[in-house]
Amino acid sequence: MASIVLSSIAKSFGPTVVLKSIELSIRPGEFLTLVGPSGCGKSTLLRILAGLEQQSAGDVLIGGEVVNKVRAADRNLAMVFQSYALYPHMSVLQNMMTPLTLRDLTFAERLPLLGPAMARGKYRALHAQAVETAKVLQIEALLDRKPGQLSGGQRQRAALGRAMVRKPVAFLMDEPLSNLDAALRVHMRSELAQLHRRLETTFVYVTHDQAEALTMSDRMAVMMSGEILQLDSPDRIYDDPQDLRVATFVGSPKINCLPAEVDGEGRITSLGLALERRVGERPRAPTLAIRPEQLRLSKGPAEVGQGLGATITHKENLGAEVYLHAALADGAVPVILRADPEEAFGLSIGSRVELLPRPDRALLFDDAGRRLSYLADAEVKAA
Amino acid sequence: MNRFSTTETVKHAVLILGALIVILPFYVMLSYSLKSPGEIERNEGGFLGRQELMVDERCAIRAAPDRAAIDQARPDHPGKSDREILAHLTQDAREGCSVRPAVFNYTMAFSEAPLLRYLLNGVIVTVSIFLLQVLIALPCAYALAKLRWWGRNLVFGLVLFCLLIPVHAVALPLYIMLAKVGLTNTYAALIIPWTISVFGIFLMRQFFMTVPDDLIDAARMDGMSEFSIVWRVMLPTAVPALLAFAIFSVVAHWNDYFWPRIVVTGNRELFTPPLGLREFKGDADGSFFGPMMATATIIVTPLIVAFLLAQRRFIEGITLTGMK
Amino acid sequence: MRERFTAWCFAAPAVLLMAVILILPIVIAAGLSLTNYSLGNDGFDWTGLKNYDRIVSRSSFQKMFTATFTYVGVVVPLSVGLGLGAALMINSLKRFGDFYKTIYFLPVMAALLAMAIVWEFTLHPTIGLINETLSLACGSWLESFAFFERGCVRNFPLWLGDKHYAIWTVAFIGIWQGFGFTMVLYLAGLTSIPRELYHAAAMDGAKTGWDRFRLVTWPMLGPTTVFVVTIASIRSFQVFDTVEAFYPQGGGPSKSVYVMMFAIFEKGIQQNLIGVGSAVTVIFLTFVLFLTLVQRWLVERRVHYA
Repeated sequence: MASIVLSSIAKSFGPTVVLKSIELSIRPGEFLTLVGPSGCGKSTLLRILAGLEQQSAGDVLIGGEVVNKVRAADRNLAMVFQSYALYPHMSVLQNMMTPLTLRDLTFAERLPLLGPAMARGKYRALHAQAVETAKVLQIEALLDRKPGQLSGGQRQRAALGRAMVRKPVAFLMDEPLSNLDAALRVHMRSELAQLHRRLETTFVYVTHDQAEALTMSDRMAVMMSGEILQLDSPDRIYDDPQDLRVATFVGSPKINCLPAEVDGEGRITSLGLALERRVGERPRAPTLAIRPEQLRLSKGPAEVGQGLGATITHKENLGAEVYLHAALADGAVPVILRADPEEAFGLSIGSRVELLPRPDRALLFDDAGRRLSYLADAEVKAA
Repeated sequence: MNRFSTTETVKHAVLILGALIVILPFYVMLSYSLKSPGEIERNEGGFLGRQELMVDERCAIRAAPDRAAIDQARPDHPGKSDREILAHLTQDAREGCSVRPAVFNYTMAFSEAPLLRYLLNGVIVTVSIFLLQVLIALPCAYALAKLRWWGRNLVFGLVLFCLLIPVHAVALPLYIMLAKVGLTNTYAALIIPWTISVFGIFLMRQFFMTVPDDLIDAARMDGMSEFSIVWRVMLPTAVPALLAFAIFSVVAHWNDYFWPRIVVTGNRELFTPPLGLREFKGDADGSFFGPMMATATIIVTPLIVAFLLAQRRFIEGITLTGMK
Repeated sequence: MRERFTAWCFAAPAVLLMAVILILPIVIAAGLSLTNYSLGNDGFDWTGLKNYDRIVSRSSFQKMFTATFTYVGVVVPLSVGLGLGAALMINSLKRFGDFYKTIYFLPVMAALLAMAIVWEFTLHPTIGLINETLSLACGSWLESFAFFERGCVRNFPLWLGDKHYAIWTVAFIGIWQGFGFTMVLYLAGLTSIPRELYHAAAMDGAKTGWDRFRLVTWPMLGPTTVFVVTIASIRSFQVFDTVEAFYPQGGGPSKSVYVMMFAIFEKGIQQNLIGVGSAVTVIFLTFVLFLTLVQRWLVERRVHYA
């Protein structure tokens, strides 16, 4: 196990800049996810780490050593591809043995018929290694089949097996779950997380699905347009996003964005509602962002007039909870909020309601999308 | 990554060597079609030949002065002996028959044998074959792909079986059949055996199967007859495949030598270009390499030029038909 | 049903032509191969298997088999191999790939007969370009090689006239004409190999071009190779143009280039021995059928799709 450092990595394809200047330090044994929308450069970054692409600038360090000139085959990393890339003409067992034969056998020993005859002992050892890995993934029964005869989930395990068998320094995964159906995907998420705990090896995982990133990672790096916007644990990414783009990307349903104003004293108001928080700057067109679960319906006459007036436009009943779509400010600002089934029972499209945000969970972002932190009470008093 | 990697250079070197070998006969053909017999024999003159005036020997022989001509010319050459006058007239005749080698070769090519006629035959035969192939294959492919009828599997099985039979292989019995019917030495004999292109049926069927059934039903609702559907709905969708097939068919039949050789025995008027060239070769003596190469150039050029202009299409076409 | 009627109408011309032009001749050939028929005769006698007997026993026919199989055995592997090599090299080039592709494909487009005549001239023992170029080496250090020594003293080989060289020369021309076609087919096959397999091979530790070839390229080209070999085989079985152009009588020096199609032509058309010609036709068809069936079987067995 070793630490992996990507230092000032930049990549352009001709005039198109794909990666700006990436600084990333991956701790040994952690599960790090690179997450972002399509085209943000995450797969390119992974391939640069693997050695399949050459960066335009910057260094890749594995275990403290610069490996820029080291070929992919020699970096001792293993990769699981989105399409699995299993050799279609070989059985699962042969697929899993390939990395071992390429590494441990000489050219002569790898020849089709002569090889196994000459190096019987070695072949047996490699065979045993492959079978053992197959047991861990529970695909022993499939070892003699060809990839064409396997289901999607089985192929994924075979691809994992091929990666695991070499005991690499780190596992690189390029959207490995995106070809599976929804139910299988959820199941594989937990399996991968368990596998990570068991193997205690670094996992570098690329996905566009923020749910995968939130549920599986130790840390996640949210990438957009070729740069890392925030690198943090999933909790902090979710609760404490530093950029509006991070806030809107992570979390389902999407975070609600309301126009806001900040007056000369730093007081925040949005659509007529005043927050009991202040900030130290005065942006001209800030955005107030509130998660659906931080927005609630006003209860009873005691709270009338204190919230935001809204009209229900749509109701999504998911059984255990209900998501209400509403429109604020005469229909100009759409929001989504989470409600209990009981609360939402009597409501229908067109009902007028009042919405109250939890004040300390609302997030303020300036014109450029940068997060503004609230002044602590002491600072407020001093102002 | 350095720009001039050695492997890349080595690859280019090998490929260039190969290219030279591949181009060699084209170079020889073109070059010798421009040279005089002397240059050809001695292998000199660079690529284009020196294009010095040469004397067309046959013309000179034809124009050789005889007794009557000498008598006629006597008044113009007072005081000269007969031999001197003869030499002078011969010299004149030879000068009159002087011509640049390139011009000589190419004019000979057209005058020694009816090359234009041969080229015309080539066009007639290839175009007729292709049109008939399409006429016969398209409806059949449509029926196999889109219509429901009890004979469908049977006929498709027949098509698959016939794919195994190269027409050249059954040339002999076909020839006998044509001879019995008295059709040898006719355009019909050159064209008919090729009108059935099983390969064309197969290819078109593959394409037609990708056309959505809804489109055809819509056409039927609009009142189109099945016949119209074939030509107005299916044909436009299969244009790429048809183009590929056209290229494949035209190249194969323009260049075909074996079948015309068998079937056209007496009638020079029916020679296709390869036959014409072959006859030229048979007749030629040593001094006629130049015109022979010119004929070869003329026969080979149309397809080469078409290929160079539309390389991508050609290669796509051959590949497409190849990969079925 | 109307649909049935229409369908039959559409298929009828094709079916009729298939029967008359493809199937009927086979039957006729099979039948006539058992006779001593000649065109122009009124009648013929049934001779049973006598024609086949002659073919198997007579030396000229044995030469036919030798010539044909030598030709096929040389042309097919070499044109397939060269085509594959050219395709691999061209595929990996950064620039000028199209240029080479075009040049290598030119022979396929040119009428073989025309090019054969040009080759004949180029290979002429004295005034042909090849031998003239070879003789330039006379008087230089190259003369130390036995080939040049002999050639400079006597003549450089009669490429088409010498029974030791003829079949190889004709085969060379066949390869020259055919490998552009196999190259194009291989190029198409190469582009259909998923790139990620090469990435996976790199991650697995494949370092050399040979590793990548053996692990990914060659196995994935399997179906293409089977197809290419079959097409090349059937085409080379049918060789005729070069042979007839060079050796209008007799099939080469001491019949060393007496290939099957030429034998059919000579016996059936020129000598009007229809019975014998038909027998050779039947044997020829059997070979072609066998080849194609082997291809079908191989493809069935080795189909593997990711």
